[in-house]
Amino acid sequence: MDNMVDYIIETQDISRDFNGFRAVDGLSLQIKKGEVFGFLGPNGAGKTTAINMMVGLLKPTSGRVIIQGQDMDKFDKASIGVCPQELVLWEHLTCQESLKLIGDMYEVPKDVLKLRVDQLLEDLFLTDKANTLVKNLSGGMKRRLNLAMAVVHRPEIVVMDEPSEGLDPQSRQVLWKYILSLRDEGKTVILTTHLMDEADRLSDRVAIIDHGKLLKLDTPDNLKKEIGGGDIVEVTLSDASLNSKVIEKIKGKENVFSILEVDGIINLRALNAMGKLPQIIGDIEETGARMVDLSMRQNTLEDVFIDLTGTSLRE
Amino acid sequence: MKFLSLAIKDLKELVRDRKGLFFILVFPIFFMLVFGFAFGGMGQSNTPYKLAIVNHDSSVNIPMTGESVNFGKNLTQILEEAQYENSDVHLFNVTKVSESQAEELLKTRNIDVALIIPDNFSESVLALINHTILSATNPLVASGSTTPEITSTLIIRGDTGFMNFGVSQGILVGILAKYQDEIVTQTQNEVRATPGAQPKEFLKSKVEPIEGTQNFTSFDFIAPGMIVFAIIFLATTVAANFTREVESGTLTRLKLTRMKGFDILFGGLIPWSLVVVFQVIILLAVAIAIGFHWQGGVNSILLAILVGVIGGIASIALGMIISAFVQNVGQAGNLGTLITVPASFLVGAFFPLPDVEIFGVPFNAFLPWTHTLDALRALLTYGGGWNEIAYSVGVSVFLTVILFAIGVVLFTKNRLKAES
Repeated sequence: MDNMVDYIIETQDISRDFNGFRAVDGLSLQIKKGEVFGFLGPNGAGKTTAINMMVGLLKPTSGRVIIQGQDMDKFDKASIGVCPQELVLWEHLTCQESLKLIGDMYEVPKDVLKLRVDQLLEDLFLTDKANTLVKNLSGGMKRRLNLAMAVVHRPEIVVMDEPSEGLDPQSRQVLWKYILSLRDEGKTVILTTHLMDEADRLSDRVAIIDHGKLLKLDTPDNLKKEIGGGDIVEVTLSDASLNSKVIEKIKGKENVFSILEVDGIINLRALNAMGKLPQIIGDIEETGARMVDLSMRQNTLEDVFIDLTGTSLRE
Repeated sequence: MKFLSLAIKDLKELVRDRKGLFFILVFPIFFMLVFGFAFGGMGQSNTPYKLAIVNHDSSVNIPMTGESVNFGKNLTQILEEAQYENSDVHLFNVTKVSESQAEELLKTRNIDVALIIPDNFSESVLALINHTILSATNPLVASGSTTPEITSTLIIRGDTGFMNFGVSQGILVGILAKYQDEIVTQTQNEVRATPGAQPKEFLKSKVEPIEGTQNFTSFDFIAPGMIVFAIIFLATTVAANFTREVESGTLTRLKLTRMKGFDILFGGLIPWSLVVVFQVIILLAVAIAIGFHWQGGVNSILLAILVGVIGGIASIALGMIISAFVQNVGQAGNLGTLITVPASFLVGAFFPLPDVEIFGVPFNAFLPWTHTLDALRALLTYGGGWNEIAYSVGVSVFLTVILFAIGVVLFTKNRLKAES
């Protein structure tokens, strides 16, 4: 029973097939109340399908989803707010009318709703546009309204599918700040993203998902630690066909934890990479290859993904 | 009262989408104008049929007078002058053409019918006159007479699948029979020197219109059907509109809320019912403007609006049912047309259909628009009042409620449940 209270959403081995294609494959997750839970994976990894099953839009082919201890068909719809990836708005309504309509649909009392709408418009910098028709808003404003419509009824769980998609840097900052404020209010936020930065900065825990399967689930720090320390060196050769020869040459050298080819670029993780650079360059030259680019950085969630799948996060 | 919020939202969207609203309101104007022209409206009570005459006839000399007569020309003149009963409108617009021209005009439907008069037409008419004279002067001789019996064949040519040909060939056959009778009568009168005497008529016929419809045009009779067709067609517009909500994803947003199928459909029904009110008023107004005659005065028109609106609400319900099955606006348009056009034929909007019964009830009695049409005809064409339409209105309302309930069930099942 404690388990039920701790986890606000639980998926038990859920799978979903579309005409023989398995979009989600045996996904089992437990999302804690009050956390920002990130789904990280490339486009087409099955994130949106998983989320649609978790909010009751899609029936799993197999498995079970439990929300606040209730089966899918019994939970209160007002406990979830969904911000879809696409802009889902009524073009001929104003911002205020759109929010009031959704509030009415969730049966929010009129007086409460009015205050909430005003507050949301202020929080998301849309007060000036309260009476502007949606069709006349900029892309960023529409994105913010898209989010506001997901939270106007103050749900316990806020699901955001790729919320930064198509946002300008300024709007993205507003969004990130708002997501963190939701967590501060004790809301549970489920976030899908293919942006490492977003998952890293916002999520308390991150589930890495690809081809419909859960690859890893932990905090961003633990995930980065798990693949070990060291820096990442990326080398681009003038002739990519020599990549494998260079990888063979360097593989197994002292303090080189991993080396593999990702999208035609050699990706090398090594301890004290800076000190090792002359030796690495020497090894490359010995193979007869010529470098056209070399860069060095700290490891990120993307490197975790690369370590897990052997490929980069595709767009 | 979630349905009320949705009704207000739909109303705002309808009004603010000026272009969309324009097309919705222009449709009935355009529709009625086109059908008004097509069915010979514009205030003309009867329409002349287009007849082309190919006269191959060679003249003959009348032995008694020595006068040369071309009976083909004579027949042509009679056809040119023939008029509708109790009317000054001619039966035919006659053009005289060659056989090949007639063929071409028929194929392009620039004429309704062609009459080909053979070259021995006058000869055969003369033979008929001679035979009549002989019969009148000496019947015994006539029975064994060697007077040549010359038969000429007039060809009535046309497209047998074309309604106008059907009507005009019937008129022509009647006129030709009368022409022959007239020749016989006239000859007999001349032989007996009793000019002007007509044979005693034992059987008479008289054309008598239904009470009150004396001045009605074909458009007046068909207009109620056209109004019903336009009303049924609204289902396609409604289906497209609801499907737009699906396509844009806004329905998914609503699906995540506490909204029920009844809320969105009843909410949608309210503004669309207003659209129906405007459309029915416009349909009637345009019909009247182009010469529609009706019985019963303003009272009939007001009741007709009520009847039309009930039929329109049934169409909205049908549109909602259609939108429960389609994925995009294009499909809504196609499926809508696929359903509304046959439905218009089934309810008899254009012409009565053969009686096919289901459990002893005509099959189209299950469609609300059949009763809408019955009520509109009873009101506008035959000048009935509320008592005459009460039954049709009652059945129409009942069937509309059933149709709406089916819409709610199907829409909820197909659109508002988690996708399987």
